[in-house]
Amino acid sequence: MHLPEIDKFAHLKSPLHSWDPRVKIISISILILSIVLLKDPRVAFLGLILAIILVFLSKIPFSFVFVHLRWVLFFVLALFVILSLTTPGNLLMRLSFLSISREGARLSLLISLRAISAALLIFPMIGTTRFNLSLKALQKIRIPDKLIQLLMFTYRYIFLFLDEEKRIFTAANSRGWVRKTNLFTLKTTGNLVGMLLVRSFERTERIRDAMVSRGYSGRLKTLDDLTLCGKDFFKAALAITGAIMLSLSGWMG
Amino acid sequence: MSKAIRVRNLEYVYPDGTKALKGIDLDILKSESVGLIGPNGAGKSTLLLHLNGILKGQQSSVEVLGMKIEEKNLIKVRQKVAIVFQEPDDQLFMPTVFDDVAFGPINADYPEEKVRAKVKEALKGIRMESYEKRCSHHLSFGEKKRISLATVLSMQPEILILDEPTSNLDPRARRHLIELLKNLSLTKIVAGHDLELILEICQRVILLDEGEIVANADTRGVLSNKSLMESHGLELPLSLAA
Repeated sequence: MHLPEIDKFAHLKSPLHSWDPRVKIISISILILSIVLLKDPRVAFLGLILAIILVFLSKIPFSFVFVHLRWVLFFVLALFVILSLTTPGNLLMRLSFLSISREGARLSLLISLRAISAALLIFPMIGTTRFNLSLKALQKIRIPDKLIQLLMFTYRYIFLFLDEEKRIFTAANSRGWVRKTNLFTLKTTGNLVGMLLVRSFERTERIRDAMVSRGYSGRLKTLDDLTLCGKDFFKAALAITGAIMLSLSGWMG
Repeated sequence: MSKAIRVRNLEYVYPDGTKALKGIDLDILKSESVGLIGPNGAGKSTLLLHLNGILKGQQSSVEVLGMKIEEKNLIKVRQKVAIVFQEPDDQLFMPTVFDDVAFGPINADYPEEKVRAKVKEALKGIRMESYEKRCSHHLSFGEKKRISLATVLSMQPEILILDEPTSNLDPRARRHLIELLKNLSLTKIVAGHDLELILEICQRVILLDEGEIVANADTRGVLSNKSLMESHGLELPLSLAA
């Protein structure tokens, strides 16, 4: 079955793959922050180009990126349409009874560019390192332990959850259940999802037992296998310079 | 020979009122391999969870290698008593095989070199040295079972508890696991319904039903007792039925 693995291309070799994940996460996060704070769509467009360049440098196939971005794009498109039509201001265009304001078009374009750029940058940031190393990097940069454990277990068990979901729906289908737009389908889906949650809860108890029996006492301990070198800081300097340039461009208008 | 496990008057009632264990008295000697059999719901898993302090019985005494299971020595007990759970996906909760096998030694505060050495040694023990960097969710069921064993062997336990170790394994993976277990010179407790496995690796067997020990004797003697086995919802193993 298809597994939603964001680190599917973590084995490739590129300047982003060889970048220490701690420095990479911090640097690209600064870049993301600088882009989402931009107020000018022209500068935001530069941010989008920078994000595309980073994805290109990471060697992660654009087809993979696009497949994983489709829901973000769908959401952005919805936002684009709503903002364009609902923001008051000078008339730009009229389509039958709908009117689009200049301010609305500008705002929706700005938000779309910022959102797509930020989502694109996740790929060079997380997709170029094995997920377990990204988690270790997050731990090293002092992200709260509970959040890291939550991410780790979500990543580890999402595959199992999807398998279980498939099994439970296959079992229902094998007994003649067909999804339709009626109350029975809604009720059955609710029951199946509820069953999945109960099973997940039972599994968490068993996992807890397994963890406790191997000495777990609330804090996740791992070995430190990350090393820093001069190149990491050079790459960080480039990314942060990019972030500062974008911010300055936006600020100077 | 000294005792590895000593249990006296172990009672356990689940929060919903179900009496899972009723006055269990049990001694297991060091280096002994003991089978724990019984029908579903007999209390086998509940008993196993008491042996490294995950569950704590009411007014009972459980001693492991001379240590009473109490809050103050739980960490030490858990280093000595390792449990391999039935479902390998419950046992393998870390993103990679290395992290999973290293989990116990790291929690025991071993220095880094020692952790790495223990991981290597444990994976070598199950002949899966090259799996260190593999993701747990990408392994086959049989591989997951073997890695589950490595996750506890890396802690160098003195007592190994296995809950249904061969369930859902194909014959080759099952045989592989049995050979691995036979070569481990630890105190072993094997719970399950694979009576052929128990016959092969255990000298003694304990038959549990409705939370009580109904038989505790040499494996062949118990497993070949047709009336005893059938009266507790079990069957003779095929090799003894002939």
